[in-house]
Amino acid sequence: MSGSKPDILWSPHHPDRYVICDSELGLYRIGPVGSAETKPGTLPLSEETAATLLAINSDTPYMKCVAWYPKHEPECLLAVGQANGRVVLTSLGQSHNSTCKELVGKEFVPKHARQCNTLAWNPVDSNLLAAGLDKHRADFSVLIWDISSKFTPETSVAAEKIRLSSVDLDSSTVVTKPLYELGQNDACLSLCWLLRDPKLLLAGMHRNLAIFDLRNTSQKTFVNTKAIQGVTVDPHFHDRVASFFEGQVAIWDLRKFEKPVLTLTEQPKPLTKVAWCPTRTGLLATLTRDSNIIRLYDMQHTPTPIGDETEPTIIERSVQPCESQIGSFAWHPSSQNRMVVVSAANRVMTDFTVFERISLAWSSTTSLMWACGRHLYDCVEDSAEGIESMIEKDIATKMRQRAQSRYGHDTVQVWRNHLLAGGNDVQLKSLWFDLYYMKQCAEDMELKLQGNKQSVVYSGIKNIVKTSSGTTESRRCWAGSDRPTDVPRYHSEERCLALRLCGWISRGPDIDVETFLRSLEQEQEWERAAAVSLFNLDIRRAIQILNKGATAEKGDLNLNVVAMALSGYTDEKSSLWREMCSSLRLQLKNPYLCIMFAFLTSEPGAYDGVLYESSVAVRDRVAFACMFLSDAQLPRYIDKLTNEMKEAGNLEGILLTGLTKDGVDLMESYVDRTGDVQTASFCMLKGSPGDVLKDPRVQCWIENYRNLLDAWRFWHKRAEFDIHRGKLDPSSKPLAQVFVSCNFCGKSISYSCSAMPHQGRGFSQYGVSGSPTKSKVTSCPGCRKPLPRCALCLMNMGTPVSNCPGTGKSDEKVGLTRENKLAQFNNWFTWCHNCRHGGHAGHMLSWFRDHTECPVSACTCKCMQLDTTGNLVPSDSS
Amino acid sequence: MFVARSIAADHKDLIHDVSYDFHGRRMATCSSDQSVKVWDKSENGEWHCTASWKTHSGSVWRVTWAHPEFGQVLASCSFDRTAAVWEEIVGESNDKQRGLSHWIKRTTLVDSRTSVTDVKFAPKHMGLMLTTCSADGVVRIYEAPDVMNLSQWSLQHEISCKLSCSCISWNPSSSRAHPPMFAVGSDDSNVTYGGKVQIYEYNENTRKYGKAETLMTVTDAVHDIAFAPNLGRSFHVLAIATKDVRIFKLVPMRKESTSTGPTKFEVQIVAQFDNHNSQVWRVSWNITSTLLASSGDDGCVRLWKANYMDNWKCTGILKGDGSPLTGSSGQPTAMSTVVGSSVQTSQNALNGMSAGR
Repeated sequence: MSGSKPDILWSPHHPDRYVICDSELGLYRIGPVGSAETKPGTLPLSEETAATLLAINSDTPYMKCVAWYPKHEPECLLAVGQANGRVVLTSLGQSHNSTCKELVGKEFVPKHARQCNTLAWNPVDSNLLAAGLDKHRADFSVLIWDISSKFTPETSVAAEKIRLSSVDLDSSTVVTKPLYELGQNDACLSLCWLLRDPKLLLAGMHRNLAIFDLRNTSQKTFVNTKAIQGVTVDPHFHDRVASFFEGQVAIWDLRKFEKPVLTLTEQPKPLTKVAWCPTRTGLLATLTRDSNIIRLYDMQHTPTPIGDETEPTIIERSVQPCESQIGSFAWHPSSQNRMVVVSAANRVMTDFTVFERISLAWSSTTSLMWACGRHLYDCVEDSAEGIESMIEKDIATKMRQRAQSRYGHDTVQVWRNHLLAGGNDVQLKSLWFDLYYMKQCAEDMELKLQGNKQSVVYSGIKNIVKTSSGTTESRRCWAGSDRPTDVPRYHSEERCLALRLCGWISRGPDIDVETFLRSLEQEQEWERAAAVSLFNLDIRRAIQILNKGATAEKGDLNLNVVAMALSGYTDEKSSLWREMCSSLRLQLKNPYLCIMFAFLTSEPGAYDGVLYESSVAVRDRVAFACMFLSDAQLPRYIDKLTNEMKEAGNLEGILLTGLTKDGVDLMESYVDRTGDVQTASFCMLKGSPGDVLKDPRVQCWIENYRNLLDAWRFWHKRAEFDIHRGKLDPSSKPLAQVFVSCNFCGKSISYSCSAMPHQGRGFSQYGVSGSPTKSKVTSCPGCRKPLPRCALCLMNMGTPVSNCPGTGKSDEKVGLTRENKLAQFNNWFTWCHNCRHGGHAGHMLSWFRDHTECPVSACTCKCMQLDTTGNLVPSDSS
Repeated sequence: MFVARSIAADHKDLIHDVSYDFHGRRMATCSSDQSVKVWDKSENGEWHCTASWKTHSGSVWRVTWAHPEFGQVLASCSFDRTAAVWEEIVGESNDKQRGLSHWIKRTTLVDSRTSVTDVKFAPKHMGLMLTTCSADGVVRIYEAPDVMNLSQWSLQHEISCKLSCSCISWNPSSSRAHPPMFAVGSDDSNVTYGGKVQIYEYNENTRKYGKAETLMTVTDAVHDIAFAPNLGRSFHVLAIATKDVRIFKLVPMRKESTSTGPTKFEVQIVAQFDNHNSQVWRVSWNITSTLLASSGDDGCVRLWKANYMDNWKCTGILKGDGSPLTGSSGQPTAMSTVVGSSVQTSQNALNGMSAGR
């Protein structure tokens, strides 16, 4: 440690104190930032902590190394090694302490002055202080001082020297006779006491690592190596030692000291500090010169003494505690993985905690669990948040909510499904209205007995307009005036159907948009209504709508201005009105107002301003195209739009593709984009054509959706979905899973338990009447032998259950629905797969409410606990 | 948006892995203390440890659940060079009533000669199959031919990846259009060895797994890898934890019906984030693969979400110790502004929690 390089030492006993030493010693106390903020002179260390300077000691110049006295008392005693080889005991802010007073100021002086490189207190016998010195001819370089020893009035050369150098020194505080002298004719660069035996001292000598035994100072074990700097013992594994040389760290095992057990990857710059983490096993921190990162080596395994060839797993990590280059760091002695770092340049300190590698996992219900160190953290999405965040909600959360609101299950008012989905998704709204109109049209077609046409409805406008034939062209007048327009309008049966699918017109041969307009007015979609009215060549109505919109509550008064502009319409090609409208319309923010003027100012047949205004709903653009594009233009436009929609996965495009293979393609890109298999499943189920449902992609979405519901424990919803699916796709009905055969004849007894309800007969009929022609329900339909008995009521199964005790609630229900009694779950056969005992479901349930063992005497089977999944409660139980 | 609370885990050493079961009601943790713990969530949302037992004679790296249709089955892997399969049984004792369940070892898989670094069950539709990967670079695929007898596992495939393996992930897609596929990552830090993520695919004709792809752009050590739940999508998404978070998209190319080789993929990198500013350790997808969580050496958990344009963004940062994250000390990123509001809320909630602790 040179004067320019700072170092940090944590107090061995005060968890909130540390010393920074460079040219002087500074004692700091670390505390929470909150209170300290107002106090002057505190230094922020992190967001939570700040340091306060308690004391400064500049009594000891030429410091080379410092070591903190390890015992409690005196608490703030430091040994300072100086450039001339002296070791001085000093203190910080504890001058009044009596025990300290005796020791503070005591000096330990070697025979020959040379630099003191390192100091180490003996962890057990705390009177022993080892000092490592540079080489001086044949002198010793490792001196072990006894700090309790009094001044030795020895007339040695050294003592004289002291008197010469520091005249005013109280001679009683100078010690010149070390307890032990080791390492003759060598230099010592680093020292540490071995924790496994406090009589052993490990020293990094000039070219070797040596272990000195104080009980026999003449002997030493040593190994030749260059890695002699910064020797340090792993506090958690006392045989493991780290040392370094330039950029390389060597790890030693003292039990097989011949060579390092491993060397860590070499760093390009020389290392300055290597330290084991005191609070965590096998974590070594290293620092190189001019670096702002601390490299950590996580040695996961305590090395085995012998014979293990596999390299221990080492995970290399690097942390960056601060922006600037790090001068030094020190692990906190007790706080988990915590260290204080001091920067090289301006002594900025940072309090920093090294996090353990965090492992994490999402649950199926979007909660996140992670493990950091020895702790677990459960992290759930906070549901108590405003609606504005709804849009940002994850699709998993959305699907869960939608499943619970029975999204997709409204098969009559199909459009309502978008409300069940939350009602704030434009694409879903469009999709469900499309499906609603398709359904309506299909039903009408059926009424007209044009059976084969049904599939036409679901094949989408793209296919409908392709088959268009017998298109007539007409030039209508502007409504309310005799002035003919030069706008040709096209009619055909198919175009009419397309308009219906777009929702512009309702059933009937006429093109009458009035109903549609009124519904738009009701929803206050003034601009859209005005545009639709205009496209039906009714300017007066459009103006009327705009006026209404302007006067409505929260209406936009600007609509009046638009109405005014509209009323000035002239079909003269070069009028000022046209010129102004076509240039200013682009400034209109509302796309519908924009396309109104685009329509009025464009040449007949060239409606790009309307058709390619992407913020206008697809259905309106398509309806417009069906009215004003010729047979040549229309399919081209529709094809182009369809491809655009397919590529974007925009559900509005379902109007064009219908529920065809094209539609599946479109849905595929929607699912790719959003992951919303719920909408995809419900939508494609509506597509009655078998070929769409058979598409493997559709099957895949359905399976994935069912799997999601299962994972969320929405089993009721899953069952509902399966029923819904079974109705629309009969091929998906599952086969019977269990067959029960008679003990005697081996034939299936399903006749008596499952076939019965389908016959629509009350169970009691059989029980009571006992008609001779029919077998009793308690007997096998094949051989008429009685069925097994219920373990609880000892009646033959198949018997109608009399009100069982302990199910008070269900008793009432039974009474109410006596005629449906057979369908009651209470009557079902149940049995344990393990012990094969069983009985009426109702009886078994009430038994196991209070018991864990099987009701059959001497059977210890814990029937109800066998299956853990069975104990899970569905999270959607309604 | 997200609120964290601490659970007393009571492991005696570092926890290496956390794993949820299919329903998210049970959880398993494994640790350097050589044990596995099973946790059950009570109705009020509290987690209770219902089983804790010594599983291995070394650190347990990973633990994973089988699909519940195979029973309550766990697999663990360890530094002790083995992987093990555990099954919960209801024994003679009344353990359940005391809130404890009993797990017994069904098998020990001892084929590896080095530390077994990851263990994963194959997707359910493939049957009960278990995959391990080990530090010597071998992926092993075991199968239990009889799902009722978990003590018999046969080694079906042994695939040498040449590089020390650290993690493995199955493609969860159950679509018939996608043959079984897994990705394996290597933590070898030598960048000259090339791509550290290899993707293997099952070939119906040869009945073997063949390499379909190597992600050559990932040259640094890979610590974790995760295929996103496919959910009927036409492509696969793979998240990789290396020196940064990376998200790859693998789009299967339409292949001619005659070709028998492995599927060719168009590999696109969708996102790459170095916000952790250091090594990234873990990545995990939510059930719809719309949220990704990652953890890194900055001690933070970060959440990532894509918008409709497939642009991934950081939507939340949580400190590893559950403490609130204020400012952006040590991480000079612009992220703190993005999550400003969410951090605020979680901070309040956390303060409440710490007071209750």
